[in-house]
Amino acid sequence: MPLLSVKNLSHTYPNGYQALHDVSFEVEAGEFLVIIGLSGSGKSTLLRCLNRLVEPTEGTILVNGQDVTHVSDASLRSHRSGIGMIFQHFNLIPRHTVLSNVLYGALGTTSTMSSITGRFTDQQRQRALSALEVVGIRDKVENRADALSGGQQQRVAIARALMQQPQLLLADEPVASLDPATSHSVMDYLERINKDLGTTVICNLHFLSLVRRYATRVIALKGGHLVFNGKPEDISDEWFRTIYGEEAMEVDIR
Amino acid sequence: MKTSLAFLLDALLGLCVSSMLLQIIIPELTGLSIAPVIIIPTTILWLAIALLRKASIGLLFVSSKNERPLPNNVRAHMGWIAFCTSIVAGWIVTDISPVEFFSSEGLQGAGRIFGALLTPEFDVLPAALDAMVVTIFTALMATIVAVPLSFLLSFPAARNVMTGGAIERTIYVLLRAVLNIMRSMEPIIWAIIFSVWVGIGPFAGMLALVVHTVASLTKQYSEQIEDVDQGPLEAISATGANRLQVLWFAVVPQCVIPFLSFTIYRWDINVRMATIIGFVGGGGIGTLLTQYQGLAKYNEVGTLVILITLVVWTLDVASARVREALR
Repeated sequence: MPLLSVKNLSHTYPNGYQALHDVSFEVEAGEFLVIIGLSGSGKSTLLRCLNRLVEPTEGTILVNGQDVTHVSDASLRSHRSGIGMIFQHFNLIPRHTVLSNVLYGALGTTSTMSSITGRFTDQQRQRALSALEVVGIRDKVENRADALSGGQQQRVAIARALMQQPQLLLADEPVASLDPATSHSVMDYLERINKDLGTTVICNLHFLSLVRRYATRVIALKGGHLVFNGKPEDISDEWFRTIYGEEAMEVDIR
Repeated sequence: MKTSLAFLLDALLGLCVSSMLLQIIIPELTGLSIAPVIIIPTTILWLAIALLRKASIGLLFVSSKNERPLPNNVRAHMGWIAFCTSIVAGWIVTDISPVEFFSSEGLQGAGRIFGALLTPEFDVLPAALDAMVVTIFTALMATIVAVPLSFLLSFPAARNVMTGGAIERTIYVLLRAVLNIMRSMEPIIWAIIFSVWVGIGPFAGMLALVVHTVASLTKQYSEQIEDVDQGPLEAISATGANRLQVLWFAVVPQCVIPFLSFTIYRWDINVRMATIIGFVGGGGIGTLLTQYQGLAKYNEVGTLVILITLVVWTLDVASARVREALR
């Protein structure tokens, strides 16, 4: 049974714009799946449908064979807490410490009262510290999150996702606002989490060089349609032009 | 034919406006033989401006009978005429009277009150300081009581929080409407209401300020909530947090500093308002001021005015400093 299976997924925004058309694919546990496509092709919408930050208009999403398309309240929150997510702009809580930000990854499994009064358990604190260890910034625990560099903030965001002990990690353009060197370091951490912890990763990326380096499989969206599903080495020049348009030129980031 | 009709209309209009102006500026002159000497050149001047600018009420009237759209200069002229007419009308309605302003009687009165204000009677100072303390604390208590209320109300009054369907939408609209009505009523009116309700004194003043402060702060707070960065909200929602946790961990941290800043500024405003509210029975320095003013003891009034100015100015500077430091 696949970890995730998406069937005939469509999404239409309230303004009538249809971002996804009948998208179907499956993800096996342990894969590093990369979604490519132009800006506005529906990559972010697709990712957000998976943890229901965006409600699918049609289609079904199965996680471990369980239909999560229409679950609500407690079941929706437990669905979300099993899926970590990181973002292009990191989305940490400014002014709060690195440790607090990582602890917020446990909100889905902590009661409202104890979380609001700041009573996280010692075990949760230990888990937060070891998550920070994984991304190599344990020494920054007491720093304010907004005082860190972009790459460091993204690593804190990864630690926050790890705090959820997720079986699936969604990454929405995780390196799009980072410089090339930092991009590689952040991608390396994602790869290590994928290989060492066995977490399945689904990641939106722009640069094909990064795709070829990190992806175990690639799907491509064009205008909300799934147009490619295969190995990264199978993206020929012809496929490249199909996905990105006739005018496109491949640029490298090393 | 049309052009001459336009001239005629402009001339008549000019005649009306210039005689109105004359009536206002030198009322004694109307009906005297000197009036036409002023009115006729003014009318000619009016006509000349209309002709040179090729933009006049007359032309407007005439061209409106044509199918052609109005030229821009005619439209500009319309605006200009409306502006001038408003000034003239405003002058009449507000009884503006330079004659009284500069009359010897008026100037004597001014001299008397300024003289008294500038030779303050400091015997009243202990009572004034007591009353000032009352005013400052009235404002402080009103702010302190209003802050938690405003904080709680600001969430249901924020559009981006109330997204859960028709019921929440209705609560949002109703709450906004009630707050707008509460804010439209000046605190001085609330003070009159509460001075009947709980009797004249600082408590009535405080209640009046609470109502107005809740309405204003809730609006400011909720606008700040509507303005937060959506990114952290998405991130906290994605961890499986419930709605209350999302508000507390993603929205509140982004709002704390602006909320503090609004609150300090509101206390500053409330001290000023508490003074005014005192005039209608809200207690404190305002009540003391009306008492001495009623007795025409202007030297004492002078002391009170100096004290109020000093306190308001100090608070203004202090709150600006604190708000600056909070950024």
